[in-house]
Amino acid sequence: MSKIICSAAIRGAHNIVDKAEQKYQEALDKWGPDHAVGFPNTAYYLPIIYGILGVPVSKLGDVRPVLEKCRSLLPPLVSEKVWLPYLAPTLEAGMATFFAEEIIEAIRYLEYPDFYTKQEDPIGGNIWLGAADDIILRKRGVEFVDGTAPGFAAILGAPPTKEIAAEIAKELQEKNLYVFMCAENNGVRMSEQLVEAGVQIGWPTRLVSFGSDYTATVFAMGFATRAAMSFGGIKPGDFRGNLLYNKNRIFAFAMPLGPVSDEWYANAAGAINWGFPVIADTPIPEILPTGICTYEHVVSNVPHSEIVQRAVEVRGLKVTVSKIDIPVSYGPAFEGERIRKDDLYLECGGGKTKAVELTVSRDMDEVEDGHVEMIGPDLDQIKDGSKLPFAMLIEVAGRQRQEDFEPILERQIHHLVNYAEGIMHIGQRAIMWLRVGKAAVEKGFRLKHLGTIMHAKYHQEFGAICDKVQVKIYTEEAKVDEVLALARKIYAARDKRVDRMTDETEETFYSCTLCQSFAPSHVCIITPERTGMCGAYNWLDGKASYEINPTGPNQPIVKGECIDPVLGKWKGTDEFIFKASRQKFQTASAYSLVHDPMTACGCFECIATILPLCNGVMIVNRDYLGMTPCGMKFTTLAGMVGGGEVTPGFLGVSKHYIASRKFLLAEGGLKRVVWMPQMLKKELEAKLKSRGEELGIPNLFDIIADDTKGATEEEILPFLEEVGHPALTMESIL
Amino acid sequence: MALSGIEIFKKLPKKNCGECGVPTCLAFAMKLATGQAELVACPYVSDDVRAAIDEASAPPIRTLTIGAGDRAVKLGGETVMFRHEKRLENPPGLALVLSDTMDDSVVNEKLSKFKYLEFERVGLILRPQMLALKEESGDAGKFAAFVKRVIDQMDAAIILMSDRPEVISEALKVSKDKKPLIYAATNDTAEAMGSLAKESACPLAVKGSGLDEVMAITDKLLGMGLKDLVIDSQPVNVKKALEDQVVIRRSALVKKVKQLGFSTITFPGQLTDNKMKETLIASLLIAKYAGVIVLSEMEGHNVFPLLLASLNIYTDPQRPMAVEEKVYEIGGPREDSPVLITSNFSLTYFIVSGEVESSRIPAWLLIKDTEGLSVLTAWAAGKFAADTVAVFIKKCGIADRVKHRKLVIPGYLAGMSGELEEELPDWQILVGPREAAHLSAYLKQWSA
Amino acid sequence: MALEIPKVSYSGKIREIVLGKGDKAITVGGGTSYPFYLFEGQMPLKPRIAMEVYDSPPDDWAPTALEPFADVAGDPVAWAKKCIDTYGAEMIALQLVSTDPNGENRSAEEAAALTKKVAEAVDVPLIVWGCNNAEKDTEVLKKIAEDCAGRSLMIGPVTEANYKQVGAVAIGYEHTVIASTPIDINLAKQLNILLGNLGVPDGRILIDPTTGALGYGLEYGYSVMERIRMAALTQEDERLQFPMVCNLGKEVWKTKEAKQSRDEAPKLGDPAKRGVLMEAITAQLVLAAGADILIMRHPESIALIQDMLNDLLAA
Repeated sequence: MSKIICSAAIRGAHNIVDKAEQKYQEALDKWGPDHAVGFPNTAYYLPIIYGILGVPVSKLGDVRPVLEKCRSLLPPLVSEKVWLPYLAPTLEAGMATFFAEEIIEAIRYLEYPDFYTKQEDPIGGNIWLGAADDIILRKRGVEFVDGTAPGFAAILGAPPTKEIAAEIAKELQEKNLYVFMCAENNGVRMSEQLVEAGVQIGWPTRLVSFGSDYTATVFAMGFATRAAMSFGGIKPGDFRGNLLYNKNRIFAFAMPLGPVSDEWYANAAGAINWGFPVIADTPIPEILPTGICTYEHVVSNVPHSEIVQRAVEVRGLKVTVSKIDIPVSYGPAFEGERIRKDDLYLECGGGKTKAVELTVSRDMDEVEDGHVEMIGPDLDQIKDGSKLPFAMLIEVAGRQRQEDFEPILERQIHHLVNYAEGIMHIGQRAIMWLRVGKAAVEKGFRLKHLGTIMHAKYHQEFGAICDKVQVKIYTEEAKVDEVLALARKIYAARDKRVDRMTDETEETFYSCTLCQSFAPSHVCIITPERTGMCGAYNWLDGKASYEINPTGPNQPIVKGECIDPVLGKWKGTDEFIFKASRQKFQTASAYSLVHDPMTACGCFECIATILPLCNGVMIVNRDYLGMTPCGMKFTTLAGMVGGGEVTPGFLGVSKHYIASRKFLLAEGGLKRVVWMPQMLKKELEAKLKSRGEELGIPNLFDIIADDTKGATEEEILPFLEEVGHPALTMESIL
Repeated sequence: MALSGIEIFKKLPKKNCGECGVPTCLAFAMKLATGQAELVACPYVSDDVRAAIDEASAPPIRTLTIGAGDRAVKLGGETVMFRHEKRLENPPGLALVLSDTMDDSVVNEKLSKFKYLEFERVGLILRPQMLALKEESGDAGKFAAFVKRVIDQMDAAIILMSDRPEVISEALKVSKDKKPLIYAATNDTAEAMGSLAKESACPLAVKGSGLDEVMAITDKLLGMGLKDLVIDSQPVNVKKALEDQVVIRRSALVKKVKQLGFSTITFPGQLTDNKMKETLIASLLIAKYAGVIVLSEMEGHNVFPLLLASLNIYTDPQRPMAVEEKVYEIGGPREDSPVLITSNFSLTYFIVSGEVESSRIPAWLLIKDTEGLSVLTAWAAGKFAADTVAVFIKKCGIADRVKHRKLVIPGYLAGMSGELEEELPDWQILVGPREAAHLSAYLKQWSA
Repeated sequence: MALEIPKVSYSGKIREIVLGKGDKAITVGGGTSYPFYLFEGQMPLKPRIAMEVYDSPPDDWAPTALEPFADVAGDPVAWAKKCIDTYGAEMIALQLVSTDPNGENRSAEEAAALTKKVAEAVDVPLIVWGCNNAEKDTEVLKKIAEDCAGRSLMIGPVTEANYKQVGAVAIGYEHTVIASTPIDINLAKQLNILLGNLGVPDGRILIDPTTGALGYGLEYGYSVMERIRMAALTQEDERLQFPMVCNLGKEVWKTKEAKQSRDEAPKLGDPAKRGVLMEAITAQLVLAAGADILIMRHPESIALIQDMLNDLLAA
């Protein structure tokens, strides 16, 4: 920690504790040790002292041991010559500061009973509200728990003008934050500036004018401390629990506006204990490395126009967008509507014009949240029935940049855009197709609103992985070409990345227990090379689903030590299966259909099973309704192997997994496959052919029998013999 | 431990002859493993293999049939304690008690009501199947005549109730072709009753007070070579009745106690005089493993709910119940009434039709065959796709019954509305609510 | 021949949850075996029944269901008092159907004022059940929680869509939440985890697994309840060790067969007895599956179930 900050904070803390001792002595002399002292209408005494130390201060005499504690916490003043690891003592000085300030404010209530209004609003000329009582705490605290108010900004001092004050207050309000104000900057206080600017202050507008002095900071901190006790079940004295609760749940930060005095530094040091970072408008030294706070500790010299946005980022506050501001209705009911030729106003893509949509991740400072830009003509600048080239480039940024999620976010564009009434979207990537109906244009819909939609929905549905979203929409050919080129490069890189990922390179797999509602003991293990058997969840989907919904059906499994690389068994997966199957199964192979195959749910895309006569494996897909060589149709097979049971010799598989290098590794892989319906073979043709090449059997695709060759083992065996199918000479499958 | 399909397959002749009715040995093995086929269907399996497979695949609770013909009752074959673990196999038989001391007119009335109590639901006929004929006259001849008369009058699975072997013997003479259940062998009559059961090849119930006594009797009967037994443990109260049922099922499944590997027969009427409470006890016994439930009274208001309970509990959880694909008329719809479509999953049907009914807006409810899958699952599986829905709409004849052309589809399937409009150019596709609970409000604002 | 009973070894226990306040407070839960399997575990606290009270006069009830309440049907306070004084109700469940935006759409303020009146008039534990519209329920239950601060109500249904808002007021104003999920053990568990993460104390969570009526999907909820109990008692799944609530009265009585007259359904016997039996059998079956709290309508079906409970739990 910066030596300058530490020295100043410790000096400030000494001053404040000195002042508290002086105040205490005066009060004691005047009223005696048994005189009641405290904040009005609260069961939490002096809340910081009560929450952190567990000491209930109810009369003046109770103050002495607390002051002694302050003294013992205070480190000696920093001398010019000594260099120490300053963090811990500084934080303790900050803690002592708050205890002392609570004492000072409590005595103020004794000395001047009407100094504060003691309610939610200013009364007459008195704008200072003082400590929130328990009724306010409960009512407002609920908002901190349910997220309607994610946190607060504790502002000390004031910005240079009342206009800037109003602007900052408005921005904070827009983020649903409470604004707790105290202290003066050169005789000016932000609360007073707001009143002058005609802004209504008080708890109902979330602009809370706590007090005139810097010591009123403890009303903000005390509020947070009580919230942890009242809503978090944290016991008085459990300081660790209290501080962690605040760090993890109350998105608060301190914002000193104006020159930072020693006393302000002391308060800032105190706030850092709660995990609340400091964002200043003056050039004080920065403390960037993370540790106590989630991200940076002290960020300084931030221009007023950026200070709220910066604070939100530093504290890691998620943006919530509750309303999608577009002139047409929006909801799932419009997802499937079609725009017919007669109703068509604009058409893009679909083979008629160039069109592309792309979601990319950027660094935090490269994205301006909410920025939507239209480059080229919009709907009001073109004629009815036009066609335009189109590109939508969505740039997202998150604290952790996760390129892995780009394709998942991009895939959402389709249904999110389709939810808008009068807009039709088909396809994705560079084969997208967009139609806008006349009625939508009449209602005022513009292409720019697509950006509004994507910004809002990414925040709403993927807030866990996106902190900032900006959207650019192009309808100029040259620009669209640029985006197309970029997109092609990115698609290639993405495909390569997925290709390179193997079960050996990744340490974490994902589970899927979505189907346990009807298949009670089913546990699907999704690895980079084994897509879920339904085909709907690959490894990245599992990962994204977990990030978005950490308590949901897709959980990370650290695979742990490999038990058998051919069967595909790991310690971690076996432990997980035992637990998630509710102790029904101890183990499962990821790559075998004979030895401990995985359970099957019922939603599998295909079923693989053995053909004993051919010493091979057949695969049948859900859409194939005919008889298969195993003597059972898909529906019969599905009835036998579903329901979360293990059925050796039978396995649910996704289409994608069939072409994986890990497909039935234990049984010899793809070269075991002797039969598939022609429709399935055709669908997978390219992949199967390239796998055949890889396996050194270039004609593998052609020697897999299909329904044109026969629907019984007896019928296909002669074919397999004729073409010399490798399965015939492999080790017995049973 | 039951054998897996593959293990059974290894033991089969692998001829793929198809004579068992299934095309391949593998498919037959799978059916055996899941209890959908019996080994006797295979003409080529050796005796050794048969013994091995039978031993391994025989259900721990004996399967037996009481009665013959339409109302025969199959019991046993249970393999689990909880329905979600697989399914409960054979729902209990509900039996009505008739005594040989009852007036003819009373018996006739009870029989005609018994026959009348028949309900159709999800394409199934629900009805009580059993008559428990009780000897109270002390007169073997009279009882036999009574049995004969009932059999002649009514097709039902019969239980012959008497503690005296000579009475049973007489009654069997007139009824043994109907494979009645003999009730019951006690500690004193085990041998005599056992011999009667053996000679007549009829199933035999065992009555003992408490499970220890029951086991002593079944042990004796097993020793005599009898297999088709049913247990009555004579519980003294409801709590004990539940305990006995659980202990019998669990002993058979978990501990393979062969003396308890049988279905049970229960008499809720012995535990209370209150007919309503008797019905409640019966409902608990349906859930908790009873094989036969003998009731002292059968009226629509107690039999129907019990049959529903049985239907619910014994529904295969892995195989959804489906209703028939057709146009359902709710509340007498007219040519300007709304037309709604949904899947044929029985629960979907019941909930949707219930909501439409309670809205009091007459409507046409089109139920499309989705193989019993719910709307979203059916859609995901391609069984509620626009093309097949369109085919159904065209062939179901709804177009001749309404003047308008507006079709309400489930809210969750909004995504297919456009496609469906293309398939059905004459129709306007309306997206209904996502939840059935909101149907009422939706229908109230609907207009043709 | 002596049988050694094969017993299940239970490793878990259902949490004991205190409902309501004061002398008439009730504790439920505490079970250490499958329901009523007293030969191998305990069920120290008997399942309880809450009697339904509606916030607006019923207009489509079966005559037999309406008859006991005909004189109080328009007055929820009198209705609740009648349940307690005449029928000995040990709990009341206030069904706020009139708040449904698709129906009467009464405001949160009205609902809260009514709830407060009922809460003040009764001393037994009070369940308050919304209209199953997550958005409206949020508004209504928040207001009720605030206005009835400290009365220890059971409020629900709390769903994944509104658990944060309703959970927060439940914490702040000291109520118990009824965590409601659509017939799915994993969703039930997930919601309990989310409520715990939010800060709702474990002593203030009840599970609503969603209950269907006899003949109308009862088996789905039945099996999910059995699975929840199994997970809680034998698989150490502590996020499922909460008592379960079944709001079954309204499900049963809205079915066609519970309402049909003798003329409409001559095969179905006496309409009065039929309705009572359909409700009581539904209750009996969910009790067998693990219910700890039943919300029921008809005094006769309630009396039957009490009788059965006494038998099943007899010492």
